[in-house]
Amino acid sequence: MTAASAVRVDRLSFRYAGSSLTLNDISFSIAPGEIVGLVGPSGAGKSTLLQHLNGLLPTRLSDSATNTWIEDIPVARVSLFEVRRRVGFLFQDPDDQLFCPTVFDDVAFGPLNLNLSDDEVRRRVHESLSAVGLSGYESRSTMRLSLGERKRVCLAGVFACQPSILALDEPFSSLDPRARRTLIAILKKFPGSQIVATHDLDVVVELCHRVLLLDGGQLRASGLTNDILGNAALMERHGLEVPLRLQSR
Amino acid sequence: MSDYLDRFGRDQSICHRWPPLMKLSVAMGLILAATCTPITHGPLMGLITCAVFFVHSLARIPLAFVARRLLLFWPPLFLMALSLPLSQGGRAGWLMSATIVCRGTLSFTTALWLVNVMPFDQLLATLRRLRLPNVLLAILALMYRFLFVLWDELDRMRTARQVRLFRKPSLWEQWRQGAQMLGRLLIRALDRAERVHGAMMARGWQGDTRWLEQRQEDQR
Repeated sequence: MTAASAVRVDRLSFRYAGSSLTLNDISFSIAPGEIVGLVGPSGAGKSTLLQHLNGLLPTRLSDSATNTWIEDIPVARVSLFEVRRRVGFLFQDPDDQLFCPTVFDDVAFGPLNLNLSDDEVRRRVHESLSAVGLSGYESRSTMRLSLGERKRVCLAGVFACQPSILALDEPFSSLDPRARRTLIAILKKFPGSQIVATHDLDVVVELCHRVLLLDGGQLRASGLTNDILGNAALMERHGLEVPLRLQSR
Repeated sequence: MSDYLDRFGRDQSICHRWPPLMKLSVAMGLILAATCTPITHGPLMGLITCAVFFVHSLARIPLAFVARRLLLFWPPLFLMALSLPLSQGGRAGWLMSATIVCRGTLSFTTALWLVNVMPFDQLLATLRRLRLPNVLLAILALMYRFLFVLWDELDRMRTARQVRLFRKPSLWEQWRQGAQMLGRLLIRALDRAERVHGAMMARGWQGDTRWLEQRQEDQR
C-alpha cells in the first residue's frame, strides 16, 4: 500500500541546548514523487529541519511520541532503521560524508549496513556510480576527487541504499556551472520525493514543484514555486531575492 | 596536501611490485627488529638502519622527502624522549631517551616507506585479509581520511592569518597564535566528528563496520 504522504511534519518545534527556538511549530507534508524546495536566509533552520527527517538529532527522540512521519512511519527511536532506509540524506560538505578510503568502499557502506549479500552490494555500487556518471571510479581514492565528483560520489552512496525520499542539504553550493547542471540532471531522474534546502533559487525554479519558506525557525510561506519565489515583497521581507529566471519574465 | 605522506604510493619501483603481504612483512620485520634490538648493540642497530634506507632507495623515495617528514616527526619525539631524563633531574634516563629516539625514528621511517610503496586502500585490504578487527580497520581508515581534511583546515586558518599579518610577529606572538589555531582546530575537529557520525548513521550504521573486498572486475 502506498503511503498518503512521503513526509509529514506536524507542529514540530526544536531548540538546541542553550539556544533560542530553532524550529517553531512547523507543519507541512510532501506527496510521493513531489520535489519541494526549502528556502530561507542563513540560520533559518533549514538544515535542522532536514536532520529531523532522518532522526539525526537522537537525543531529542522519544520512543513513540513524534511530530514527524516518513511514509506513515513515525520518526522515533524504535523506527530509526526503517526511517533511514527510506530517507537518503546528502550533507552540505562532502568531506563529512565521504569517510571511506576508496569510492567503492564509500558507496558500499550503506548497502553493507542494510545486510545485503555481497553480490547485491556490488551490483548496487555499480548501478549507483553509473547513475551519477562515475562508472570506473571504484578504486579511486575519495581524497583525490574534485568537489563536483565528491558530491556525485556522495549521491551515489545515497542512491545505493535505494531510498524513496531524498533530503538534500545545499547540494549545489560551491559547484561550477557544469557540475551544477550534471547534478540537476541526476536529481531530475530520481523517481521518489525530494526536499532540497538551498540558496540557489534559480535551481529551485527549475527543479521544484513547491517551495517552503523558512525564516527565524518558522514556516513563513508555502506554495507553488513561481508563486512564492516570484513574490518580490515576500522575498525581500525574508532577506531573499526573486531569482533571475523569474525577474526576466 | 592529500599526498603529503604517500606521494610515491602509485610509483612503479621494484618495491611497489612486491606482493602486498611481502611489503607488510618487510615493514613489520624492520619495525620489530628496531624495537627489539637494544641500542647498545651498535653494529646491529647500524645494520637495521642500513636496511631501512636500502628499501627506501629500492623504492626510489628521495632522501630529502624522508628528511622533511622526519623534521615534523622529531619535535614531539624529542619532547617525549627528553621528558624522561628531565623528570629525574638529568641524572639518569639518557640511555632510555636515546632508545626512544632511535626506535621511534626507525619505526617512523619504515612506516613512511610502507605507505609510499603500498597505497593505503591496498594496505587496508591486506590488513582485512589478515583478519585485523573491524573496529581497528575503521579507526585506521577514518584517521587516514580525516588527517588530511584537518591538515587542510589548519592550512586555511594559517593562510587566513597570514593575509592579515602586516608585520612580522614576535616569537611569543607566533607561539600564542599557533596555540590558538590548534585550539580552534580541535573544536572544528570535534564538530566535524559529530557531522561524520551523523553521516554514518544516516546510511544505517549501527556500530559495526563491515567491509567488502573489491574484486578485479570492480576496478573497471
